[in-house]
Amino acid sequence: MQYSTEGMMPFGPVHPSLKEPEYFKLYLEGEKIVHVEPRIGYVHRGIERAAQERTWVKNIYMFERICGICSFHHSLTYTEGVEALAPFEIPKRAKYLRELVGELERIHSHLLWLGLLGHWAGFDTLFMWIWKDREHILDLEEAISGNRVNKSYTTLGGVRNDLPDGLADRIRAEMAYVEKRAEYYKSLVQSEETLVVRTKGRGRINQEIARKLCPVGPLLRCTGIARDIRAEDPYAAYDEVPPLVQTSNKGDIASLLTLRLNEITDSCRMVKETLEKMPSGPYRVNFPRSVPAGEASYHVEAPRGELFYFVKSAGGSVPERVKVRTSTLANILTATEMLKGHTLADVPVVLTGMDPCFGCMDRISVVDVDKSREWTVGGEALRRYGIEYYRRK
Amino acid sequence: MTKEPRRKVASAMGEMFRTIVEHPVTAQYPFGKSVLPPRFRGKLDVDPVKCTGCSVCEIVCPAGVITMVPVGKKTIGSRQVDIKRPLFDLYTCISCGQCVDDCKFGALTITHDFELAVFKKKSLVMEKALKLGQ
Amino acid sequence: MDLLQVVELLVFPGLTFFVWLAFFFEWLERKTAARMQGRRGPVVTGPFGLLQPVADFFKLASKEEIVPAESDTFVFRWGPALYFAAPAIGIAFIPVMGYQSVLSNPIDLLFMLFVLTFSTLMATLLGYASAGRYSTIAIGRLVVQYTSYEVPLLIAMVTPAILAGSLSIEGVVSAQGSGWYILPGFVAFVVFIVAALAELEKPPFDIPEASTEIVGGWMTEFSGNALAYIKLTKNLSYVFLSALAVSLFLGGPSGPVLFSDANVQAVIYVCYFLVKLFAVGFLLFSIKTALARVRIDQAARLFWTVLTPLSLVQLAVVVLLK
Repeated sequence: MQYSTEGMMPFGPVHPSLKEPEYFKLYLEGEKIVHVEPRIGYVHRGIERAAQERTWVKNIYMFERICGICSFHHSLTYTEGVEALAPFEIPKRAKYLRELVGELERIHSHLLWLGLLGHWAGFDTLFMWIWKDREHILDLEEAISGNRVNKSYTTLGGVRNDLPDGLADRIRAEMAYVEKRAEYYKSLVQSEETLVVRTKGRGRINQEIARKLCPVGPLLRCTGIARDIRAEDPYAAYDEVPPLVQTSNKGDIASLLTLRLNEITDSCRMVKETLEKMPSGPYRVNFPRSVPAGEASYHVEAPRGELFYFVKSAGGSVPERVKVRTSTLANILTATEMLKGHTLADVPVVLTGMDPCFGCMDRISVVDVDKSREWTVGGEALRRYGIEYYRRK
Repeated sequence: MTKEPRRKVASAMGEMFRTIVEHPVTAQYPFGKSVLPPRFRGKLDVDPVKCTGCSVCEIVCPAGVITMVPVGKKTIGSRQVDIKRPLFDLYTCISCGQCVDDCKFGALTITHDFELAVFKKKSLVMEKALKLGQ
Repeated sequence: MDLLQVVELLVFPGLTFFVWLAFFFEWLERKTAARMQGRRGPVVTGPFGLLQPVADFFKLASKEEIVPAESDTFVFRWGPALYFAAPAIGIAFIPVMGYQSVLSNPIDLLFMLFVLTFSTLMATLLGYASAGRYSTIAIGRLVVQYTSYEVPLLIAMVTPAILAGSLSIEGVVSAQGSGWYILPGFVAFVVFIVAALAELEKPPFDIPEASTEIVGGWMTEFSGNALAYIKLTKNLSYVFLSALAVSLFLGGPSGPVLFSDANVQAVIYVCYFLVKLFAVGFLLFSIKTALARVRIDQAARLFWTVLTPLSLVQLAVVVLLK
């Protein structure tokens, strides 16, 4: 269907409301959006190709830098995927510690999104308050691992260091604080009139659209479908400290707000439970330099949804192939569907309702319309194609 | 099912006036000292005495910071081999600490120094390990 | 017009005084918003960061001015000066030192309305002359917002005039010697405050300037000197509207007479005026910090269905009581 390009408003790639560049072509009639065409690939860095030249341990540092917000989950999926290729078990304490830091990261990611939603809706006060509380979580993460964002906490065989002494009490105190604040924010986002009119009824999706377009994470759970990988396919220590899967069935941005706040409260509960149940023992085992040959696919519930890694080893010290499929890639079509029929003023709020992380998202997919074929190219093939193309020109 | 709170305008006012009398949270760096946790990962440091030139740090560094440089020769059996010592290009260092973890001799440490802005890249090249330790 | 009037017009209590007040208002706004959010606000430039708005002004003025190729260059370059002129001339009609303002006219309240209209007209022209995608959307929103808030603002401003029986600001201020109009005209005061937020494009009505949606709104394409003056004009409008609120509803500089010497008393009057000005300013900042941005259709609905009837009801009450 052809849409008039005169009414095309480019949203991005550089825009104050997007943290990372992506290009959305919004076809407008007046202020109403009739069609959205996303164009991705602006943050493509060739990480999958670069992974093939680095050893297994070096890759941990690279994969955690795919995204700054869910960085621990990237390194977690990768290490657990590689450990699935090896024939021995990771110590229990390491799994509990991984769950602890994973849930802390979920809290910080949801708080980040909530604050940013306030900012996109023009409510800078909410943004500042929430990020002020988020600092408590970041300070905890820094105390555990040494860095606030790219924590480099997991390693092949376990975690790099144990919890510092005396931190357990501080963690419990901070969790109590965060729970109290989350309660306050829940009442605020439901009662503040100017925020409610911006989010209630906006970005409506229902189960039918969800089944057709396959979103993941909170975007899926807000339609009422209760899918959570931590509950269905437990990894780390989630079989012993399971989550309470939160759903909502309203399907709009306001319900996403309360859903993520509920997830924060649940994560606080899980952190406290992990601290109580944590077994003693080693937190790390030695892992061989060359990983045995095989293929493993692994998925976790990152704060944004399902994060999927496919790891293939040929028995050497470098991986043969690592494939990453992040949650934002799965959510982007749903987000563009959510936008139809809304006005331009809703775009920041609705588009970012899916909690986009375009840094995670970009993998190139090539569609050859003439031959009606669609495939994903690896970096080497793309590079050769580019050289050939320009040589022929 | 909890009851939804009543919608009202400017419901943030109470919290706002409470916050206005609290101490602000902004840290006044550089006019005030920031408190760093003990595990904070800043600049890398090397102890030249403990370094034996085993090259493990060069192999494991993800960022390619370390280059082993020949600084002398020694005889092992009937062969002459290079004695190598590490040269650190700290402007590439990501402070991940992998070299610290893998150094069996404890020659590497991560310090709390984070004020690493310099005018010349060369200032961040650490050569102190190139002198042969005793 | 003699020399004293010219000095008064340009220096005190005229342009220079109000421009410095505009800088101070911006500082106050940033500081109170920051403290309410748990931050510090400007700290470094000058004591307590007082010189920060001045530093920002000079920084912008020293930057290169980029004129887009498709824009209407004449309006683009000279428009900001006219935009600045609107509140700059309006402030001369506000009584500060006593019951008399520098310039006055029996019907100067209508002139104030003209000044406000002219401000918005210039903003629309400037956005239109920019000829960018974001500016075009912004001026559409600006015009809708303007037509929505103008009627309640007008009625709210006329209510004190009816109470005073005079259409000049001096007359309204003098007539409030027997009691400030905020009490009988409280609803009009509330309507005025809300409409002032819309005129100044502050949350919840900063829709034409929504930085997270349309980058800079109608100000997107401006840079350098023009942007410096546009920002100064926005701050000046802030002061101007607060001063109008003080004159119309809070009795201007009136207050208890403490000294018999007229000159010293004039200083006291200025202090009263400033105190009331900062009170109204603080009220505006608090409301602005507490609210998110609404959409343009929601704003229009709010003005037409809630504020206009409220102001009409207040007007009717006032007329009947007279």
